[in-house]
Amino acid sequence: MLKIIIPTTMLIPLTWLSKPNMIWINSTTHSLLISLISLSYLNQFSDNSLNFSLLFFSDPLSAPLLALTTWLLPLMLTASQNHLSKETIARKKLYITMLTLLQLFLIMTFTATELIMFYILFEATLAPTLIIITRWGNQTERLNAGLYFLFYTLVGSLPLLIALLYIQNTTGSLNFLIAQYWVKPISTTWSNIFLWLACMMAFMVKMPLYGLHLWLPKAHVEAPIAGSMVLAAVLLKLGGYGMMRITVLLNPLTGQMAYPFLMLSLWGMIMTSSICLRQTDLKSLIAYSSVSHMALVIVAVLIQTPWSYMGATALMIAHGLTSSMLFCLANSNYERVHSRTMILARGLQTLLPLMAAWWLLASLANLALPPTINLLGELFVMMASFSWSNTTIALMGTNIIITALYSLYMLITTLRGKQTDHVKNIKPSFTRENALMALHLLPLLLLSLNPKIVLGPIH
Amino acid sequence: DWDGKVSEIKKKIQSILPGGTWDPLYDTSYLPPERADVVIVGGGVLGLSVAYWLKKLEKPRGAIRVLVVERDHTYSRASTVLSVGGIRQQFSVPENVQLSLFSIDFLRNINEYLAVVDDPPLDIQFNPSGYLLLASEKGAAIMENNVKVQRQEGAKVSLMSPEQLRNKFPWINTEGVALASYGMEQEGWFDPWSLLQGLRRKVQSMGVLFCHGEVTRFVSSSNHVETASGEKVNLKRIHEVHVKIDQSLEYQPVECAIVINAAGAWSGQVAELAGIGKGPPGTLQGTKLPVELRKRYVYLWHCPQGPGLETPFVIDPSGTYFRREGLGQNYLGGCSPTEEEEPDPGNLEVDHDFFQDRVWPTLAQRVPAFESLKVRSAWAGYYDYNTFDQNGVVGPHPLVLNMYFATGFSGHGLQQAPAVGRAVAEMVLEGHFKTINLSSFLFSRFYLGEKVQEHNII
Repeated sequence: MLKIIIPTTMLIPLTWLSKPNMIWINSTTHSLLISLISLSYLNQFSDNSLNFSLLFFSDPLSAPLLALTTWLLPLMLTASQNHLSKETIARKKLYITMLTLLQLFLIMTFTATELIMFYILFEATLAPTLIIITRWGNQTERLNAGLYFLFYTLVGSLPLLIALLYIQNTTGSLNFLIAQYWVKPISTTWSNIFLWLACMMAFMVKMPLYGLHLWLPKAHVEAPIAGSMVLAAVLLKLGGYGMMRITVLLNPLTGQMAYPFLMLSLWGMIMTSSICLRQTDLKSLIAYSSVSHMALVIVAVLIQTPWSYMGATALMIAHGLTSSMLFCLANSNYERVHSRTMILARGLQTLLPLMAAWWLLASLANLALPPTINLLGELFVMMASFSWSNTTIALMGTNIIITALYSLYMLITTLRGKQTDHVKNIKPSFTRENALMALHLLPLLLLSLNPKIVLGPIH
Repeated sequence: DWDGKVSEIKKKIQSILPGGTWDPLYDTSYLPPERADVVIVGGGVLGLSVAYWLKKLEKPRGAIRVLVVERDHTYSRASTVLSVGGIRQQFSVPENVQLSLFSIDFLRNINEYLAVVDDPPLDIQFNPSGYLLLASEKGAAIMENNVKVQRQEGAKVSLMSPEQLRNKFPWINTEGVALASYGMEQEGWFDPWSLLQGLRRKVQSMGVLFCHGEVTRFVSSSNHVETASGEKVNLKRIHEVHVKIDQSLEYQPVECAIVINAAGAWSGQVAELAGIGKGPPGTLQGTKLPVELRKRYVYLWHCPQGPGLETPFVIDPSGTYFRREGLGQNYLGGCSPTEEEEPDPGNLEVDHDFFQDRVWPTLAQRVPAFESLKVRSAWAGYYDYNTFDQNGVVGPHPLVLNMYFATGFSGHGLQQAPAVGRAVAEMVLEGHFKTINLSSFLFSRFYLGEKVQEHNII
C-alpha cells in the first residue's frame, strides 16, 4: 500500500518544485504511473482480502474503487488545464495540490481497515473538495453550494462518529476484518434503531438519498471540472462503499429499518430522472442523473442479496466512469460557448464530429446499453429487487425508460439540429480533450469484456 | 526582497485579526452577475423587446439568463422616450411594412402580451388617426408604387387626389400636392414611455436581470481560419463583457455567450469596442457599423384655429411633419435637416431658429391656420441614423459571431421594436428568421454594398 501512498504524497513536492511549463506534464504522467500500480491490486484472491498491513487492506470491493480513484487523477488534471491557464503559477500548483491531497485521502479511505481511520479520512475529503468548489468555482452561487455540501455531510456524519465509538466500546475493535467475525445480531430496541440510523445517515447523505440530495446539484454545477469529476465519480461512491462495509455490523436490523429508505430511493429514482427531462443547464442534468443512478445503488445495498451487491459494485464503477465523462463533455462545451444552457449550443455534430462520437458513446453508456457494465449493474439490481418484491419491477422499468429519454434528449439537443450562428467559430476539439474522453471510455469498454473484476467480493 | 515580503505578510495577518478593517464578504448586490448567457447592451425599447422575446420564445422556461445593461437609468437621452411616437405602415421596403404590421398588432393587444400578475393593465394611449403622406408631381409615381407594395403586404392605405384631400381635410392647402396616401387603419401614434415601462416591468417579471452600468470593454478570443478561396479571416468570439458601474471605477467582468448590440444611437461606439471596423477599408474586417448619432428637434406649439381632432400625422413633401398632441389644440412636429444643416449631436440643446427658418414657413404654407401659432416647448432627441441606407441592422455580424445587432433604424425604430425584437430572438434561438424574413437587413449588406434604401424616411 505504501507503494501507492508515498508516490501520491510525493506528487505534492513534485508540483511545487517543477518548472512552470512542466507542472502539468509532470503531475499527469506521474499520477498515470501511480494508477498503473494500483491496477495490480485488481488481482484478488477470491476467498479473502489482500492485507497489506494492520492499517490497509484491499478486497474485491475496494480494489476496483481504488483503481477508479487513481485512474481519475490524471484525467482530472488533463481536464483542468484549460480553465486554469489564466491563473498564476502559485494558484495552479495549489489546485493540483488540493487534487492530490484529495486523492491521497480517498486512497486511504478506500483501503482503511479501522473504521475510525475510514471515518477520519471520510471527513478529511470534505476539506479539499470544499476549497476546490468555493475558490475555483464559476459563479457567486458557489459559496452557497459549498455551504450546502459541507453542512449536509457534516450533520450526517457526526452521529456516525458516536456510533463508531460505541461499537468500539461494545465490540472491542473496529478493525473491519475482525469485526465482521465478532458481530452479534442486534435486536430491535430503540437504542439499536438509533445506532442503525447513526451509522447509515452519513452514507445516505453522501450517496445521496432522494430526500437529502439538495447539495448535489448545487455542488456539481458550481464546481470546476475537476471538482465535478471527483464528486461524481468517487465521492458519491464513498457513500456506497461505506454502506456496504457498515451493514456487516448491523444485521438483522437492516431488514426492518431499510423500508423507508428503500421507498425514498425507489421513488426518488423516478423523480430525479423526470427532473432531468426539464433541465435547461447541462451540468445540472448530469448531476440529477447521478442521483438517479445512485438511488439504484442504495436500493441494492439495502436489499442485501448477493446479486444486488454484485450489481451495486458494478454500477458504482460504471457510473463513476460514465458520469465523469459526461461532465468532461459538458465542460468542453462550456469552454467553447461560455454558457451551460443546452439550447444555446446546438447542432454540434456537424462542427465537432469526433466529440459527437464521444457524446454518443457516453450517453449510450449512461442509458445502460448492453453490453456495458452499466447494464450489468442495473440488471442485477433489478433482478434482486424483483425477487425482494415483485412490484419494484414497475418502478425500475419506468426509471429505465425515463433514463433513456433524458439521455437521448441531451444527445439530440446538443448534437442534432441546425446550429445557431454564434457557435460557428468554436475551436475544434483538442487532442487533450479527445485523449480525455478516450481514457474515460477505454476502461468502460474493456470492463464489458471482463466484468467479473468489478463484480465485488461475492463473485 | 525578504524583509518586504515578511512585512507584507505581517500586515495581512494584522488586518485579518478581529478589530481590523478587512471585510472579505462585502455587499456586491449592485454589481451585475458574474455570468450571463445573453448580455443586451442598451435598455431602450429595442433592447427590452429583444429581452422580452428571448424569454418568451425560449423552449424550456427559464433556460436563458439575460442581462440588460443600461447606462442611463432615467432614459434622459434615450431615443425611445424622446420620440414622437408615431407608427405607420407606409414604407417602401416590404419588410418594413411587415414589421410595422406585426408591431401594431402587438400594440393593439399589448395587455395580452405584456400582462403582469397583480399589476394594472397598460394604456399606451394609441391614437389611430393615421398618417397622411403628401407627394408632389415628381414623387407621385414613387408613392403609387409604394402604396402598391404596402397593399400587397396587407396595409390599408388609400390614395387621394388633391380634390379628395380638400374635401376630407379642408384645412390643407393642396398647392403643389399631386397625390396623397392616407393610412386608413393601424396607423397613428402612442406614448413611448408607457410602452417602455410596460416592457420593463414585464421583462423583470420574466426574470431578466438589469444592470445600471456602461459597457467599456469586450474581451474576445479569435480564431484564424481560411475560407474556401484561401483567404485568411479572423473570426472573433466575445466571451466577457466589462460592465463599468456608474460614477465609479469599479467594473464587473460578465462572462457571456451572446452579446446583443441594441445601444441605439451609440451602437457605432459599442461596435468599435468589439473590434468591428478595425481593418483595411474595403474589406469585411474594415467595414464599420455605419450608425451615428443625429440630432432631431421636435417642437410643440399651440394653435387655436388649428386643424382639429381627426388630424392625421401629416408629412409634407418637403420633409416637414406635424401631428396633433392631446385635445387642447396643441401640435407637435418638426423637420429633418438636410445633410448640410445637420446640428452638432454633442448635446441635446434645441435650436429655435431652426423652427423659425425651416419648419414654420413650410407648415404655414401647407396649413394656412398655422400662420399664427405659439411654440410652447421644444426638445431634441437622437436618431440612431444608419448612414448607409437608413434602414435597421438586424442579425449577427459575419466575423464577431456572437454579436447580434438590433439597431440603426433611423427614426422608425420605436414603431418596429416589437417585431424586430422577435426577429432577433428567433435568430439567436433558432439560427434563422422564422416569421418575418429580415435577411436583407443583415450586416453583410454594408460590405457587399447592397442598399435597402427606404424612401419614406422623415
